[in-house]
Amino acid sequence: MAIDLKAVEQLATDQSSLKAAAGLAKPAKWSGVGASHDGVLIWGECAGSGANPYRVMADLRDLGNKCTCPSRKFPCKHVLGLLWLNAEAIVPFVAAETPAWVSDWLGRRRGTSAARPGSNVPPAGEKDLRAARATEPEVADDPKDVARREAQAARRSEETERAILDALDALEQWIGDQLRMGLSGFIDDATARCRRIAARLVDGKAAVLAGRIDELPSRLLALAAGDRPRAAVVELGKLVLLARAFRAGPRDAEIRRAVAASETRETVLADPQALRVDARWEVLAEQVQTRRDGLVSQTTWLLNLTPNGPRFAMLLDFFPASAGRRGSVFTPGDRFQAELVFYPSQQPLRALLVRRDANEETPALEWPASETALGDALTRSLLAEPWVIEMPLLLPQGRIAHDETGGAWWRAADGTATLPVAGNAEGLLAGTELMRTAAIWSGNRLTILAAQTSWGRIGNDE
Amino acid sequence: MSDTIKAETIYDAMGAVLTRWTMGSAAAPAASFWHAELGGDPVEAELRLLALSGQFLGTAVTMEPSSSLRILPDIPALALPTVPETLRPLVRRILSTKKQAKVKTDLVHFLAARGWTMHPADWMPQADDDDAPDLYAEWRDWAAIATSNSAARRQTDDRLTADNWDDFWPAARKVALAELRRRDPSAARAVLEAKLAGETADTRWRLLSLLSEQLSDEDLTFLEAVAANDRAPKVKALATSLLARLGRGPAAGDDTAELAGFFAVKTKGLLRRSRVVQAEPVKTAAQSLRRKALFDGADLTSFAGALGLAPQELIAAWDWGADQAADAALIELIAATGADAQVTQAADAIAEHGATGLAISLATRLAPAERAKHAEAALKAQGIRFELAQLIAGTSARLEGPLSMPAGKALLAALQRDDAKPSDHAEELHALGLIVSREGARRSLEQLTGAGLLQGDPRLDMLRLNAALDDRGAKP
Repeated sequence: MAIDLKAVEQLATDQSSLKAAAGLAKPAKWSGVGASHDGVLIWGECAGSGANPYRVMADLRDLGNKCTCPSRKFPCKHVLGLLWLNAEAIVPFVAAETPAWVSDWLGRRRGTSAARPGSNVPPAGEKDLRAARATEPEVADDPKDVARREAQAARRSEETERAILDALDALEQWIGDQLRMGLSGFIDDATARCRRIAARLVDGKAAVLAGRIDELPSRLLALAAGDRPRAAVVELGKLVLLARAFRAGPRDAEIRRAVAASETRETVLADPQALRVDARWEVLAEQVQTRRDGLVSQTTWLLNLTPNGPRFAMLLDFFPASAGRRGSVFTPGDRFQAELVFYPSQQPLRALLVRRDANEETPALEWPASETALGDALTRSLLAEPWVIEMPLLLPQGRIAHDETGGAWWRAADGTATLPVAGNAEGLLAGTELMRTAAIWSGNRLTILAAQTSWGRIGNDE
Repeated sequence: MSDTIKAETIYDAMGAVLTRWTMGSAAAPAASFWHAELGGDPVEAELRLLALSGQFLGTAVTMEPSSSLRILPDIPALALPTVPETLRPLVRRILSTKKQAKVKTDLVHFLAARGWTMHPADWMPQADDDDAPDLYAEWRDWAAIATSNSAARRQTDDRLTADNWDDFWPAARKVALAELRRRDPSAARAVLEAKLAGETADTRWRLLSLLSEQLSDEDLTFLEAVAANDRAPKVKALATSLLARLGRGPAAGDDTAELAGFFAVKTKGLLRRSRVVQAEPVKTAAQSLRRKALFDGADLTSFAGALGLAPQELIAAWDWGADQAADAALIELIAATGADAQVTQAADAIAEHGATGLAISLATRLAPAERAKHAEAALKAQGIRFELAQLIAGTSARLEGPLSMPAGKALLAALQRDDAKPSDHAEELHALGLIVSREGARRSLEQLTGAGLLQGDPRLDMLRLNAALDDRGAKP
């Protein structure tokens, strides 16, 4: 089933969408492009501004479409880009079995008439394909302008740094106040108190730290009441360490990422020092969490199945909760060859997906061997970043056990470690030997992501 | 930092430090060994102590379980293999998109009939999931172990006896009893006679119902004792119903005579005179209710006897279709109190007269092959929909060409209508996927995609699973 580029033009809500789509109609932006055997459905994954790619799909019969990006425009530039790729046959759309995520979308579609090209929606302004394709001529920069812009940027950076330092002073004072007023009162009133200092930190440009403090009460309240004072000391102590680290190295990208903001995707991609790893990855799990600040965090945990590079990678994106529920990007258990670029760090973990190869048959790889000494693994990353809250781990053979109150524990087969498990570990997870377990350790709780067993791979969501 | 400070020293001080901070007093004095590190400014000292203590408590102090830990036994492998890995996503999607319990139960039974089981990460029965196939008894018992606090029983593979009754977990015991009943009906009854009274009413009811297999006059004494003495009305009613199937219903009393009074045995035909049982017209709602109530308390043999007929004569002479409420009541009566032969006879009779809806009441007492036969006949002759056919057929049927039957033609036409919506007829397509053979499923998929449905359409999931799944089950 063929479509005309004219249809793409009609479907676009405005000229800027069309322009953006033209920029996306390039093979390098896409992976996993395919079409159903009957040629009716097309799909692909498009690299967006986040760490996770967007899943894009369209029904060519009526140009009904769906994208997992948070854009409010419908259709978004990614859908237009996919249709553009198809209309101009820029990449081959390999006939394949319809992926489950496309079928899921089909099942949820209400009707087939909503998005007919050129139907009742009036075109918003004039749109022009040729103009969309045109590339803006490079304007030669005036050296004076460049110098002025650089000076402005440096001043802004200094102002930001000053604001953050002021905010950190306020934070330390606030921490001192909590100690003076008593941690029992702090634990009882944590939500309101953390909200207030988080707001101050947002004003002081320390947005990441503000988000962390906003989530602190929920981390505390997830623990047994008897363990909360200890956990509060650990949490507040880490904040002091982080504040001191920022003062010592305000330009350090890693510390800045923990306090103020992350580098943009473009900055990381352009960084020649950034670690790039081309490896075979397995999707361990996806965690979606609505935060108190109104953002939804979407974290995809990947396990490196090859011996090269970091063991884990974390693709982290945020989008406003008001953008609605967002579809999953990966299916747990999926494996693929891909190149990832890691945010510069002493312990690279957070990454961006640069390129994902088309699915191909590859030899089944075992999960790598687990950490050699579990005790070290639990604390190693704290040597470099004593303020981190959680770290991924690959645990050796073990098993789930329950205490008398029903609380779940992971116990190493050799009896050397017993770690408390977050949430209910029930069903198969508790009824079989866990040969390897991928989990997140948060200092006081283990969140199991997936495990290898004699029943095959099992995820904690299953 | 002085390296002479021992971890034990810090650990010992942490109790006091935490207590002071919890109450809101300065804690630095409680950690005098860090005096040099904390410095002289009291405000700064508290923050430094917080950083140091936090790191110590976060790394050196980990939670220990407060009680002894309990490890559950391995979830055992079942007698049949789990569905192939490649089909598990399809199974999961059917489970997740269709929330009704019946859909899950049907899918589990369908897989069992085709020789497969669920993967335990996708689905496991609860301990009290009596609708799960017997195949899953070990998983049900595992779930019972997981939710109980008792130690595991001495699980045995021995033949079930009254002596080793308590060694079995409940689901395995029920399966063992059913197996024993098939091989040695008297031994199974003897075990029940010894152990039934010690069980709960629900369990007594389920165990007693196993006697319907190979029911014979040898069971009479036991059943009469249960019917007379059991504490639970529903267990008594079941025993009475089983007795009735043996032709030992309560002696025809006034109620049965009153019920018979609602009907008349007439003769018809001039040359070959035959009897026909006709319902007398019911004039009031009160009469109608009274007749229904009398049916509920009756049994087939007594009712037929009150009309001067044998049960099989009553079924043969019944005037089907003249009074639908009476038809339905008689079918319920046969399902509850009729012998197996009478159930089969009644199923044939209603199929002949086109009263298909009534077959559902009899379905659970029919063998899988008979269920499939009646479903197919009704699809062909009565033009019933696949959903109804599936209720009659159950989950073991393997119909070859349902799409060429009237329901299939209607479905294809409906799917091709201009105003068809993507979610239309999902239940009908799902039911089709459950009753069709593997080859039939393949052909149906070709026909449906030929009619414009997309290959990836989630409404075709059950058909796709059926078509992809190797049929390793015993054919009915």
